[in-house]
Amino acid sequence: MNFDIRELIYIILALPLIFSAVSATNFLGKDVLHWLNRLVATGVGAAIIALLLTFDADIPFAGQYIYLDALSMWMLIIIGTLYFAFAWTSKAYLDRDTNKRYGYLRRFGYLEGRFYALSHIFVWIMLLVVLVNNLGLMWVTIEATTLVSALLVAFKFTRNSLEATWKYVMVCTVGICLALLGTIIVYYIQLNTMGSENALNWLYLYEHSKMMDPAMAKFALCFLFVGYGTKIGLAPMHSWLPDAYSEAPALTSGLLSGSLCSCAVYVLIRNIIILMPSIGIDFISGLCLFFGLFTIAVAVPFVVVQRDIKRMLAYSSMENFGLMMAAFGLFVPVAAQAMLLNLFNHALVKFSLFYMAGTVIGEYGTKNMMRIHGMMVQVPRSATFLLLGIVALLGMPPFGIFFSKFYMLYGFFISDHPWLGVLTLVLLAGMLIGILYHVMRMLGGRPKRKAAGELFGFIDSLVIAGLLIFGFVVSAGLGEITILNHLLNNAAKIVLGGVA
Amino acid sequence: MDYLVVFLVLVVFLQTRVTDLKRAVICLASQSVIIAIACFVIGFSHGNDIHAVMPGVLTIIVKVIFIPGAVYRLVKKLKNEREIVSASNVNYSTMAAALFLVMGYALVERLMPGAAGRDIVASSILMIMTGLSLMVLRKRAIIQICGLITLENGIYLLGLLMTEGLPLVVELGVFLDVLIAVVVLVILTSRMRLSFMTTDTSVMKKLKG
Repeated sequence: MNFDIRELIYIILALPLIFSAVSATNFLGKDVLHWLNRLVATGVGAAIIALLLTFDADIPFAGQYIYLDALSMWMLIIIGTLYFAFAWTSKAYLDRDTNKRYGYLRRFGYLEGRFYALSHIFVWIMLLVVLVNNLGLMWVTIEATTLVSALLVAFKFTRNSLEATWKYVMVCTVGICLALLGTIIVYYIQLNTMGSENALNWLYLYEHSKMMDPAMAKFALCFLFVGYGTKIGLAPMHSWLPDAYSEAPALTSGLLSGSLCSCAVYVLIRNIIILMPSIGIDFISGLCLFFGLFTIAVAVPFVVVQRDIKRMLAYSSMENFGLMMAAFGLFVPVAAQAMLLNLFNHALVKFSLFYMAGTVIGEYGTKNMMRIHGMMVQVPRSATFLLLGIVALLGMPPFGIFFSKFYMLYGFFISDHPWLGVLTLVLLAGMLIGILYHVMRMLGGRPKRKAAGELFGFIDSLVIAGLLIFGFVVSAGLGEITILNHLLNNAAKIVLGGVA
Repeated sequence: MDYLVVFLVLVVFLQTRVTDLKRAVICLASQSVIIAIACFVIGFSHGNDIHAVMPGVLTIIVKVIFIPGAVYRLVKKLKNEREIVSASNVNYSTMAAALFLVMGYALVERLMPGAAGRDIVASSILMIMTGLSLMVLRKRAIIQICGLITLENGIYLLGLLMTEGLPLVVELGVFLDVLIAVVVLVILTSRMRLSFMTTDTSVMKKLKG
């Protein structure tokens, strides 16, 4: 079977949509639903691999509404991996949550179809975000992800999840509305300088980006940065983030943190690439460095005093995205490449960690880390994987994040910002101490509560181990895997927009 | 056009004064009607094709009929609403709106002196900022939804004036998103009524740190 790029993209976009429509009708049995879910995600994953093999990173593919270049291909790999992991862990998660004895959804077993429908449509919209060629459509799809994921965050409709969702929708919609204003201003600039042909088409704007009016472009950038920055969770627009991540179902938190934030970063970068030549990189660099480092600085104290395990992971997510924005603001090729690599590694590790946090919550019936002790004795398998995940998250070798964080920090020192590099290192050390302290307390010590037993199943361990190993293989062996190396090089070149 | 701006400013100020939920929704609908008329006026001044009619028609369907209708249906269910905070910030939001109006005109004078649509730009800035202040200062969920739509209307009006309408696909997408946003918010509000017995958002303050 040989498909060309267009057909593969159609397959990638058709499968999740069809599945979510089918599962929304709630007419399939549960077993069929679970298997079909895995089949669909595996199919999409296979199609993305086939696309990677067919696609030449030097030649972007441009359709009427679709645009695929190295950067979008990289994002597709991230989303596809998480989609695959989601599908293969969802049965265990749902079984646990609908368990007769302690599961939260025990009275709502029939909601599984709805959960699948919403999750798959959520992933489908994220696939659309990275495939559309139009800045306006990127805005539309990003806003749509907010709305669909809001229903997922509020999936259990508890008081806390309602509060979190209300905050999430209100803050993000306002932020995204400001981004719409920014997009409108970009269109206004385009109308004034290039006419209404190819309205908001990314490729067209990219080719003509030097013609933009600098003052207006700066004006637009401010709105776009605040708007999409809200969605990324940059401080001080982050107030929704820990609430939404901690109250959502574990799998949704993983998708939110791993792929949705990455999509927001992607869209912000696409917009910045267009505005870069006219504004000049100094302004953008200062903006990204300041907000990135400020985000890390805000996240650190909250991690240290945190009691809720998922909130802790949420703040760690903020730290990672702050670091990535700062690394993007350096405008050196090494840092840009490491930033894209970290996008990938962070997504994998954070998805596994959120999934494991969900397992731990299931095992102990609480989110409070102060009430969990002696996991190593009571639930050895979950404890081992949690330790591995945390070690990976904190950027210790041999896991993937070590490589990407190392090169991002290296970027600080080779680009005339050594003091910022030192500051970042200090902040990251604070992060490491905070997280490690809490997790070690949970893992060690004498058990004080009865656990519900080992809930971490065989398939889960395979998937989580696979994610961790995949991240390591890709980051450590990047020089050897020619196709990914080539792709990443090209993607970094696109991110820098030919400036550096 | 001048009359429209006057009416628009009047409705926005009224919006900040209203505390009754039903009247707030009616206010919202009439605000959207004015926006729709503005769409037609601006659209027909630039041509007679489908792109001239489309924004106005969509505004009427989505923002005049559907959104206020959905919110109104919800409001009718909220009969025994237990009010927790009686001291409302009505006066503050009106004063804020007045300040925003002055600020809008000052901004327009600074940025584009003598431009053709300065009244519309100023009133759309007023709408954006008033929408924000309604969402921040007011506690009732319904009023916050009204604030969100006001904000969106303001941005839409500004966009319409600056660019004579976005590309058609994008425009459709924007309307679809506003539609889904309101559906999601209505679902959330009715759930809030079930689990908190009120739609006052100030009861939700458990998540911190």
